[in-house]
Amino acid sequence: MKVTVLEQTDNTLQMRVEEVRPGLINAIRRIMLAETPTMAIEEVVILENQSPLFDEIIAHRLGLVPLKTNYDQYVVSSDCTCEGVGCHLCQAGFTMEVEAPEDGFIATTGDLKPQDPEVVPVSDKIPIAKLAKGQRIVIEAYARLGIGQDHAKWQPVSTMAYKMIPHVKVDTNKCDGCKECVEVCFRQVFEMQKDKAVVVDEKNCTLCNLCVETCDVQAIAVSHDENNFIVTIESTGALPPMTIFEKGLDVFRKKYEELITLLPGRVPKVTPKKPRAKKKALPKKPKKKKEPKAPASKTKTKTASKSKTKKKK
Amino acid sequence: MIIPIRCFTCGRLVADRWEEFNRRIRQGEDPATVLDSMGLKRYCCRRMLLSHVDIIDDILQFAERT
Ligand code: SF4
Ligand code: SF4
Ligand SMILES: [Zn+2]
Ligand SMILES: [Zn+2]
Repeated sequence: MKVTVLEQTDNTLQMRVEEVRPGLINAIRRIMLAETPTMAIEEVVILENQSPLFDEIIAHRLGLVPLKTNYDQYVVSSDCTCEGVGCHLCQAGFTMEVEAPEDGFIATTGDLKPQDPEVVPVSDKIPIAKLAKGQRIVIEAYARLGIGQDHAKWQPVSTMAYKMIPHVKVDTNKCDGCKECVEVCFRQVFEMQKDKAVVVDEKNCTLCNLCVETCDVQAIAVSHDENNFIVTIESTGALPPMTIFEKGLDVFRKKYEELITLLPGRVPKVTPKKPRAKKKALPKKPKKKKEPKAPASKTKTKTASKSKTKKKK
Repeated sequence: MIIPIRCFTCGRLVADRWEEFNRRIRQGEDPATVLDSMGLKRYCCRRMLLSHVDIIDDILQFAERT
């Protein structure tokens, strides 16, 4: 496997990955989509909600907010010493208390106060609810590590796509300069230069073969490499794309090692657990203040679809 | 009702672009140019903003005043 980075920004990464079989690159793609953990809000306690949105909608919206994830700090709560109850090792808390000063006030992720300054929404401009003057929202939320297989909110990438590297050739001896390929190609691969079609952006080709079918004199040949790929990763912002790629490969290797131990005649190899980076103590969760007009009921709303929900309204 | 947080299809964050999108198309800009400038390349994400009808403002008029 040979990897060359073609283009990189904060949230996107384009690479040339050479000498891999399509099956392997697809396995990596699926692991990155569905099995690379990130943080997302999993539990929401609604103390007060006067907005026009139902408690469940607010909880669902909060769940989908991409959160910056720091792997050294948290463990998956089912593997945690608290056995899934939720403690500072496996969950990060948020609080939100807003009262609209005027009509049309938008409560955003900027109003969400994180307990851990490293687990924060990727943008503070994400609208959660719109309120009329005087309407209040008071909530507590808890984020946990999870994987995309369980809920799409934990998916670290919005795109992980690959395509076989395209090759487009124009036979200039045959080309009669009819310009039809320039018009038919929606990826702007061709350009006319001195009455001949010339390939200017080969990488952009999607292998649709439209140009081959259009050219009356069979001057164009489109082919592709079977084992070389252009891989595009677009992160939701939760993790840098390169980290997602590395972590995805990590998960893949663990699965592979586990598979080997399951082969008949093999003694399961016990890999010593990596010592976990010690987590700095978090400030204790502030005690819940008793509201003067105590809310009628405290609704706990799980944001994952499979969980039970107690309705308030 | 209110702009969805993420694209239904690919999961890209779109909600934080709504206010800007809405303001700019109301000023007469071409939606395609606005979407391009915001980096929404895929048509799944583009339709999230293009097809959204924000009715929460209408609902808010019936809010209980205290
Ligand atoms: S369609 Fe064929 S003949 Fe016409 S410009 Fe393109 S390559 Fe040349
Ligand atoms: S195969 Fe399709 S995308 Fe590629 S050059 Fe021809 S028309 Fe363009
Ligand atoms: Zn725990
Ligand atoms: Zn999309």
